[in-house]
Amino acid sequence: MFVYNETNLIEGQVTPMLTLDYRREPHGVYFLIDNKSFYASCECLARGFNPMKAPLVVMSEADNTNGGLVLATSPEAKRLYHLQANVSRQRDLPNDPRLVVVPPRMNLYIQRNLQINAIFNRFVADCDLLPYSIDESILDLTHSWHLFGDTPRQVAQRIQHTVRAELGLYTTVGIGDNPAQAKLALDLYAKHTDDLIGEIHYETVPEKIWSIADLTAVWGIGTRTAKRLNRLGIHNMYELAHTNPYLLKQHLGLIGTQLFAVAWGIDRSQVAQQTLPKEASLGNSQVLPRDYQDKTELETVIKEIGEQVAARLRHHHQLAGEISLSLGWSFATQTTTKQNGSHQAMRLDPTDNDQAITQQLLYLFERNWDGQAVRNLAVYLSKLQAKQGQQLSLFTGLEQQVRNDKLATTVDQIRDRFGFTKLVYTSSLLSGGTAIQRASLVGGHNGGNAYE
Amino acid sequence: MNKDVKVINDRLQPRFKRVSQTRYWLQVADDHYGQTYNFFFNYQRKWQRLKSIPLHTITTYDLAYLETVVSELQTLTKLTIDYVGFTDQVWPERQQLIQKKRHGYE
Repeated sequence: MFVYNETNLIEGQVTPMLTLDYRREPHGVYFLIDNKSFYASCECLARGFNPMKAPLVVMSEADNTNGGLVLATSPEAKRLYHLQANVSRQRDLPNDPRLVVVPPRMNLYIQRNLQINAIFNRFVADCDLLPYSIDESILDLTHSWHLFGDTPRQVAQRIQHTVRAELGLYTTVGIGDNPAQAKLALDLYAKHTDDLIGEIHYETVPEKIWSIADLTAVWGIGTRTAKRLNRLGIHNMYELAHTNPYLLKQHLGLIGTQLFAVAWGIDRSQVAQQTLPKEASLGNSQVLPRDYQDKTELETVIKEIGEQVAARLRHHHQLAGEISLSLGWSFATQTTTKQNGSHQAMRLDPTDNDQAITQQLLYLFERNWDGQAVRNLAVYLSKLQAKQGQQLSLFTGLEQQVRNDKLATTVDQIRDRFGFTKLVYTSSLLSGGTAIQRASLVGGHNGGNAYE
Repeated sequence: MNKDVKVINDRLQPRFKRVSQTRYWLQVADDHYGQTYNFFFNYQRKWQRLKSIPLHTITTYDLAYLETVVSELQTLTKLTIDYVGFTDQVWPERQQLIQKKRHGYE
């Protein structure tokens, strides 16, 4: 895979340095564009503020956030209070009268994201634009950059100016010869420069990537991976790039080789080619608003989440052949039992039926729960197959089965048309039920006012 | 009552708890990027953080219409109204400057 074609001595360096023949690697012009403090900027602009000037934080105060979770902070708030997004809690926020605290509006951010991508679409063809997350997009400008400027950097500035002029948002751009380089340029350099643009190319890999001393600053390396690398004697990107890739593969598996490629700035993926997951699955998870210890409460919420996943399954016209239930214990239980939770999967006859799915879930719950306090719940359905007809069972009456199927589709239709909360099981009103509360959430947070 | 006024009023009343040592006011922003007027309900307890709750967005981007909505809200709630993004703009009916001073965060 990797060919060391020559050894050369760099001035002043005693050890010979290996270089790589990059000629056969894909060379393109890739941009990775993200928005500076996206949620916070959207909220600033809605209030008529400059995103760079107002100290504003977006804080989710849903029941299950334990007081409040800071989702985003404006650059000014970061500067004043040294805050970080997504890891700060309400308790970390200073009680400063200058600070503006606002609730999240996920629907607004989705709308803005669509507008931004519409602007990007003027610079690249549809197939060369890949929205990577709610505020990041990958653009393959290999074929179109020369239409908009003399250098890729100029094109990046032009995109930045267009977005700022039309939407008011500030964007940061990472430029690279492939998507991985663009991502690293964005994370490591673009966010810290004045013009909010960073560049990494094959020629500058040693200078820009190997100079990184903190492994966790690199995309794909978290604290745990960093620890594992440390155990192999790797403490910075230079050492990672000069480790035997076979050793990395032996210790870290496929991810090891992937990290090695990143260290050399190599990425052979094609943005235009859609990658399909090997096996699709559907599921939902939730953090409960408090520790649940009561059996009936837990059963209520498991049923609810099972029904939610089953409804999504029917929407996709799929049947599931496997079901899994994960339970996460409360913090107190985790510390005393040294166990994080339990997870079990089981096969079932391909189905999309509410009852069949919740029944199995309750069975799994019964088997894995022994009175512990539960804080996290997840239900996943896998081994999906297209629903081409209904597999009839020999053990239930024919009419009954057809009626059940019809009932489920009718309930789905009513909910599609009038909203989820218009038709709920009475069990959702019991203590412990969360379905009604969760119905208005988008991505786990407040969606915003329904009728703007 | 105007439909927009009703939506705004219905959303602000449950938040307007009249707690002592707490300031309550309305913020109206001119979002010239989205061509809308946005309404927010702000409140701040003494020495505490400012909280700003979105109330409504008026898509009729017309100052004359905004003036009717605002005057109706003023008689209804008696709340102070802060304007952001309206520098140099004048109320069409009253012929007064809407926002006298530029907001510090603009």
